[in-house]
Amino acid sequence: MNVVITPTMVGQVIISGLLSGALYSMVALGLALIFGVMRIINVAHGPLLMLGAYTTYFLYSGLGLNPYLTVPVSMLVLFGVGLLLERTLIFRVVDAPELSSLLLTFGISIALVNATQLAFTSDLRAVEYLTGSWLVGPFAVSKPRVIAFAFAVGLTGLAFVFLKYTRTGKAIRATSQSREVAMVCGIDVGRIHLLTFGLASALAAAGGALIAVIVAIQPEMGQVWTFKSFLVIVLGGAGNYPGALVGGMLLGLVEQLASLFLTTQLSEVVAYVLLVLVLLVRPTGLLGGRQT
Amino acid sequence: MKRAGALALIALALAALAIYPAFATGYGVRAVLQIFMWIALAGSWNVISGLTGYVSFGHVAFFGMGAYTGGLLIAKTGWPWPLAALGGAAAAGLLALAIGGPCLRLRGPYFAIAMLGLNEVLRALVSYFEGLTGGGNGLSLPTLDATVPIYYAMGLTAAAVTAGTYLILSSRFGLRLMTIREDEVAAEAMGIDTFSHKLVAFLLSALGPGLAGALTARDQGYIEPLSVFPLATTITMIVMALFGGKGTVWGPVLGAAVLFIAQEMVWARYPYVHPLLFGAIIVAVVLAMPRGVLGLLQLKFRLPRTI
Repeated sequence: MNVVITPTMVGQVIISGLLSGALYSMVALGLALIFGVMRIINVAHGPLLMLGAYTTYFLYSGLGLNPYLTVPVSMLVLFGVGLLLERTLIFRVVDAPELSSLLLTFGISIALVNATQLAFTSDLRAVEYLTGSWLVGPFAVSKPRVIAFAFAVGLTGLAFVFLKYTRTGKAIRATSQSREVAMVCGIDVGRIHLLTFGLASALAAAGGALIAVIVAIQPEMGQVWTFKSFLVIVLGGAGNYPGALVGGMLLGLVEQLASLFLTTQLSEVVAYVLLVLVLLVRPTGLLGGRQT
Repeated sequence: MKRAGALALIALALAALAIYPAFATGYGVRAVLQIFMWIALAGSWNVISGLTGYVSFGHVAFFGMGAYTGGLLIAKTGWPWPLAALGGAAAAGLLALAIGGPCLRLRGPYFAIAMLGLNEVLRALVSYFEGLTGGGNGLSLPTLDATVPIYYAMGLTAAAVTAGTYLILSSRFGLRLMTIREDEVAAEAMGIDTFSHKLVAFLLSALGPGLAGALTARDQGYIEPLSVFPLATTITMIVMALFGGKGTVWGPVLGAAVLFIAQEMVWARYPYVHPLLFGAIIVAVVLAMPRGVLGLLQLKFRLPRTI
């Protein structure tokens, strides 16, 4: 275990951490939006990401599309799935006790995972489109991860521009600050809930589509993403949207540092310890409570 | 009168289950043993989630913790299995205190998601500490044919969990837990120390799975990370408790018995459909009958609250 750790290795780890951190941020932003606007933790967020990955896989292997061109298609498909889920099931538990929404989304997540397993088996599937690394100075950066990073930064940026400057985006933020006041201002809160759930599902789908090019996919890949996205929004402060960005980068870095100084096997354990520590020391998250 | 009748019925059922192994086939004993295990698991989940309202998505972690602690005590230190089973329960209880400390301090979904991750973490740790646990190769216990004694031990566990739930439900402690479930702010305003109540409920809900895990490890003679930490076990115990009726004494018993038998008879032929059905049952129960089958019966026949 006596490996000498050089500055190059540390630099490499920081680069890898930021690359995967941007993906975490984007996916977690979806979870943060649903939590902020609807006060629901969507346990099915990870399985929605998995559906996005499968959509990209089948567009790539069936129609031979460039997987990066399928990202908007996957997002659109999952936007539709999100709308459907909200309109048929989720809206019924928006005002119900937390127990109901947690259990309902848990049930949905089990159903999605097992329906996928039934339809497409548990076989690992890979989108073998882009492999290898670019050499930047002394650092090797994996090509699909760099492109995923670029997509994630771009899409997250778009989401923030949308939230900040458009009328609908403002309505979403208003609803997340206070549903009652938003209602009084004439915002159709039901429609905002619907839209938010669709958008969040689309962000998850983008994550799934990009991940499909990086690692092999299978129906159970999603659950760990629910947990990680939640960890990200706890780190950044639940309900705090910029906090999701900081939290994602932080999680990416911590995981990579853990794999450098300990072992890759324990990187999930380290992430978990981080969650428990944050809950103990600063339960409102690093950037503080909910502000939008 | 009604109460005496109910007690007589329970005594009769217990007596029948006690002499059952003398007449039953090996398969029959094993099947009832499994039902006992599910009653213990679903009933324990019910204490923290059904009564207190804090959903645990990782209760199988305590099962696995019990299985590995019990298994290691038997295999490495040669403890007799009943003692090792108690050791398993103690380890699960300690784990509950360690996790509950930070996660139950807060309201909201923190606890639920922390439990979702706990299982993965334990599995990773068991695989990592190969020297002790055998890692992915698993842990073999010395051979011992103890199915019938374990049948009784598991039966006692199930009975203790059910009786414990009754005692909690009919006590002031249980009322306070249910107050926390209904409105935690109000509970605090009434002077209930919500944190310590939640923590005690969580501790109690970890003991049953710890015991059941250690007994299962002894019964099967071999454990590995994938067999004692499956998400499917958590899902099954949640479905059973919800279906029977969360927050009731007999709901988990009813759910465990009905769904286990249904699973053995029908769904075993379609192995992939059944988890999908479980997901659908959760969705349907939450939306259509949040109090489960027993809740419906309670309303219809004006049964007592502490059933």
